[in-house]
Amino acid sequence: MNTLITTLFLGTTRGAVFALVALGLVLVWRGAGIVNFAQMGQAMFSTYVASTLIIKGYGYWFAFLIALAVGAILGAIVDLAVMRPLTRRSHAGVLASDSMRATVPVIASLGILGVLQSLAGMIWAAEERGFPTPVSDVAVKPFGKTAPFTKFDLFIIVVVALTLVVTTLFFKKTGMGLAMRATALNPEVARLSGIRISRVRTLSWAISGVASSLAGLLITPSANLSPNTLDLILIVGFTAAVVGGLDSLPGSVVGGFILGLLIAVINVYVSPDDVFLALLVFLLLVLILKPGGLFASKKVRNV
Amino acid sequence: MLEIRNVVASYGSVVALKDISFTAEIGKITTVIGANGAGKSTLLRLISGLEVATSGAIHWQGESLLGKSPESIVRMGVAHVPEGHAVIAPLTVAENIEMGALFRARSNKDDVKLAIGEVYELFPRLEERKNQLAGTLSGGERQMLAISRALVSRPSLLLLDEPSLGLAPLVVEQIIETIKALCISTGLTVLLVEQNANTALSVADHGVLLSIGSVVADQPAPLMRADSALRSAYLGY
Ligand SMILES: Nc1ncnc2c1ncn2[C@@H]1O[C@H](COP(=O)(O)OP(=O)(O)OP(=O)(O)O)[C@@H](O)[C@H]1O
Ligand SMILES: [Mg+2]
Repeated sequence: MNTLITTLFLGTTRGAVFALVALGLVLVWRGAGIVNFAQMGQAMFSTYVASTLIIKGYGYWFAFLIALAVGAILGAIVDLAVMRPLTRRSHAGVLASDSMRATVPVIASLGILGVLQSLAGMIWAAEERGFPTPVSDVAVKPFGKTAPFTKFDLFIIVVVALTLVVTTLFFKKTGMGLAMRATALNPEVARLSGIRISRVRTLSWAISGVASSLAGLLITPSANLSPNTLDLILIVGFTAAVVGGLDSLPGSVVGGFILGLLIAVINVYVSPDDVFLALLVFLLLVLILKPGGLFASKKVRNV
Repeated sequence: MLEIRNVVASYGSVVALKDISFTAEIGKITTVIGANGAGKSTLLRLISGLEVATSGAIHWQGESLLGKSPESIVRMGVAHVPEGHAVIAPLTVAENIEMGALFRARSNKDDVKLAIGEVYELFPRLEERKNQLAGTLSGGERQMLAISRALVSRPSLLLLDEPSLGLAPLVVEQIIETIKALCISTGLTVLLVEQNANTALSVADHGVLLSIGSVVADQPAPLMRADSALRSAYLGY
């Protein structure tokens, strides 16, 4: 019984982090039509920045905020310096066909991932580091009994819940949120309405950068920080995004939680070795039974 | 005045417009008619900045439009309602309308509210369906929504691409009457692209007839309407 509850808690906290990763991926996918494989590389980079600041003696929260800012800036830079020039329509040659126009930015994101990982290796000498938590990460003991979770678990759940609420309000209640949805859904009508879609896209990249940096900050205390620790997180986050339908923000969040729980259950009750096999089977099942993902945006007829 | 001078445009090797010139007067409805593939939509897309011309000039109230982005052209008072009920289906009716005024929502807050109130007054059906997804509207309601989206930007030039497409004659008449009233009350200039030449010419002040990318007639609408030789040569009735 106790194992089950612990497992569910672990699954929920991990799921919360996967939800953030998936959210970041979906934001860029919807906003710019690109699957950003560099995303967790950006997160790794900003987590290293935070770690360096903490080692230098700055407080956790200062480092936390700087890391989020670095995440936003890196996201914007990837768009402005690489993606925007690459997707410009005036490019002839390799980018002439639609399939190349869709593929090249994805390949570019893999390149950026490589660059970020080698840069981090050069700057931080590829040393593995631990990463602190702002609150205790040993199990809380109310009334002398050991609870199945730690303060840090609660912290993760609260931070992710807040992030999701803020994101939802931003998209539903603000003009910029509306501009972002319109740009993702129909760039032509958005432009005709006066929405500056390239700025909106850069903003999508920046917000995605913040979400994934947050994921990096929350997950590294339970892993070790090295230039490629977050690669696996990206794979799980991507699976979560696909399970959720890839273009649905709520879907990506639910997908993240489902995968978190699935992984925790397989880890504890089957074997840690089978986690990726289970992920693959689950992904295939979803794709076969519901090809558009569990939460594919409701189709509205376009006639 | 909208001035189109020697405009040439092509899609790759397909020349869509071959040296087009005409003008549209302020406060008037000018209709551009012609058969399928004549280049009518291309013309509107050039004016609103969605396509780029090969050569020529387009001026609205003395300012050049060619080479500007659609985002900037909207800010110059030019609103384009593209072909086929262009609304964003997964957004609500209210969001679609709000979207059209986003670019001036901060600088002109009060006027935006006023403008949104006005379109709801013009099309009460939209107000009743405010919180419904645009994708659930009927064809006619979608066209009203697309026009409302354009109107809340307070355009001085409105580009309408086949508003009658797929609509019942009664709805078309209602929409066109609404537009006509706006021209008279606010001095709005309209460039109306239509397949249905008869309806278009009956409301328009001026007619421009396009045939495979060239202007073949440019006359007051009543004259064009009465010209049966022209009609049978280019419109097939
Ligand atoms: N994106 C495009 N790529 C290639 N050719 C195009 C494109 N858009 C239009 N054309 C061609 O340009 C010509 C003019 O098209 P346009 O859409 O302007 O015609 P139209 O007068 O609006 O026709 P309709 O009444 O059917 O809407 C046509 O020959 C069309 O095939
Ligand atoms: Mg057309």
